[in-house]
Amino acid sequence: MSFKPKVGIVSCSGEDCPGGSVSRAATLAVLHRLRPADTVTICLPLFLAGSGAEREFARHFPTITVDGCGKMCAAKGTAKYSSEPAVKINIGDYIGHACTEDDGKTMVSEDTHVVEQVANDIASHIDRLRSEWR
Amino acid sequence: MKKVVVPCSGIGKAFGAVSREATHLLTEGRHSNDYRTICLPLLMTEDTEAKQVIHDSEVYTIDGCPAKCASTLVKHVGGKPVMEIMVPKVLAVNKDHKPDTVLDIGDGGRLLCQDIMKIVLESGGKEQ
Repeated sequence: MSFKPKVGIVSCSGEDCPGGSVSRAATLAVLHRLRPADTVTICLPLFLAGSGAEREFARHFPTITVDGCGKMCAAKGTAKYSSEPAVKINIGDYIGHACTEDDGKTMVSEDTHVVEQVANDIASHIDRLRSEWR
Repeated sequence: MKKVVVPCSGIGKAFGAVSREATHLLTEGRHSNDYRTICLPLLMTEDTEAKQVIHDSEVYTIDGCPAKCASTLVKHVGGKPVMEIMVPKVLAVNKDHKPDTVLDIGDGGRLLCQDIMKIVLESGGKEQ
């Protein structure tokens, strides 16, 4: 039986943007419900503030970044402090203007359609990355 | 001076979720005219606008674990938090207000968020 790595999911969880709440909810859905045995999460700021274990993981194993808007902080932060993500997801591609000023920041909950759609896409990427791993 | 609350929003533990929900209590409730937040990851990418907000504001950080990511990133871009709150230390004072999980912090977690909000509202400028 060949080794299949766990996939690291890195959510931006942007506090000032509804897209950040979607990224967080979708990531949690994957981690706890859809692919709990195949994934780990990494707190994004730990790439800078942590002990180095997070950087090491992302250097050796595939990561999927989930960003709430086109600024792509999770993807950029992961690449800057560790290694280029295998997949970069932008919630803005699903819901358009993800970070408009007048939107409520926390109105998106885990049962919304878009969260489910993003979570399912992340799960598909996980399956592909693990099956392609050599 | 503007007041900015920066939580760690750690995704692996309930304390990270508490930091996030406590922040939204301050920035989306009846205190929203006085407090705002910014996306913490913007500080990782050294976003110019986010750095300026940090430099021009009274900054409160809320961290869920000893790594103190929120506080560390604020300092990384040259900010000086007026208050650095550690969620476990607030819980130590109010032991009944224990959060459940990162998915649902539960009633205890919500009370802990209220405790944190009160600390920010009532006592500025000293470390917790």
